[in-house]
Amino acid sequence: MSLQASSSPSRAWLTGMREAIPLLGGYVPVAISFGLIATQAGFSAWEAVLISTLIYAGASQFLFVGMVAAGAPLWLVVAMTLLINVRHVVYAPNLAPWLTSSRWWPWLMHGLTDQVFAVAHARLPQLPASQRLGWFTGAALLAWLSWIGGTALGAVAGGELVARWALMGEILPFALPALFLVLIAPRFTSRRWSLALAITIGIALLLTMSGLTNVAIPLAAVCGALCFYSVKFITTGKGERNE
Amino acid sequence: MSSALWVAVLASALGTLLMRLLPLVWMQRRLERQANGDSLEAMPQWLSLLGPLMIAAVFGVSLMPVAPGALSWLATLIGVLATLAVWWHKRTLGWPVAAGVTAYGVVVMLAGLAS
Repeated sequence: MSLQASSSPSRAWLTGMREAIPLLGGYVPVAISFGLIATQAGFSAWEAVLISTLIYAGASQFLFVGMVAAGAPLWLVVAMTLLINVRHVVYAPNLAPWLTSSRWWPWLMHGLTDQVFAVAHARLPQLPASQRLGWFTGAALLAWLSWIGGTALGAVAGGELVARWALMGEILPFALPALFLVLIAPRFTSRRWSLALAITIGIALLLTMSGLTNVAIPLAAVCGALCFYSVKFITTGKGERNE
Repeated sequence: MSSALWVAVLASALGTLLMRLLPLVWMQRRLERQANGDSLEAMPQWLSLLGPLMIAAVFGVSLMPVAPGALSWLATLIGVLATLAVWWHKRTLGWPVAAGVTAYGVVVMLAGLAS
């Protein structure tokens, strides 16, 4: 899985699938948990799978089944489900400069999760234009199918799986932070960027530890951006910019 | 599932899709309007800044262990260091992730054996 562009255009979708494999370590255990929780909340296995297929947004799916099980009004369930996903509005515009003129792109945005965005944002600029659609399709499809498959597995045999493979469920999710670390490591190119990224990571972690996972991503990113713009005005003793 | 609940599922699905899709359409039209053809220059600066920072935030959120505790935090630290070390040498996607997960797993399993 080299960071260099692939040399075979016809196999771009396969490259995308291969490079999305680390996402499975985070997706499958969480999807199994969702399938299990959805069935415990009164949904059938098919209904849990359909929710994962159609909505395909981790945290909001947990909130959806939780609020429905608690008897919340459905308009509020929908509103909260959408509110949690508001951060997704900045993902696609960030990829737009590297997208080709294919009409498939808007529909492929169904697969644009946090994780797929992170990988695509790093990889699409490195790929030739002819490979980008295939690469994104392969990566997004693997991630989506693993989410659906994990939900089905959790809904049918979640209890037994959690009991037997508890340790794997604890270890495999580390693939996600490891992958994100590899994706952002090359971004530490200057003191200004390093400070903004470090503050973003720190605030996101602190908010998550405080139980504010749903606002952690947008809030931490905004704090990092404010930091980025603020340190622009700090100068060194010799009058140089602290870039 | 009742018909009202189905409507809620479909509304959530459609809303989520539109939140991912409409900003793309907006940005593609904005890029098309730019005469100079430099799509990166056409992006608002705040937007191009938010992209990497959102990934950093996702990284920060994902650092939280599944079962928080002193040992899982130690495993996280060692996993991060192993990932960084292999990335520094290989500059690839796959090997650093494999090394990080292995290091994390070894610490978790050793801790499990010791307890």
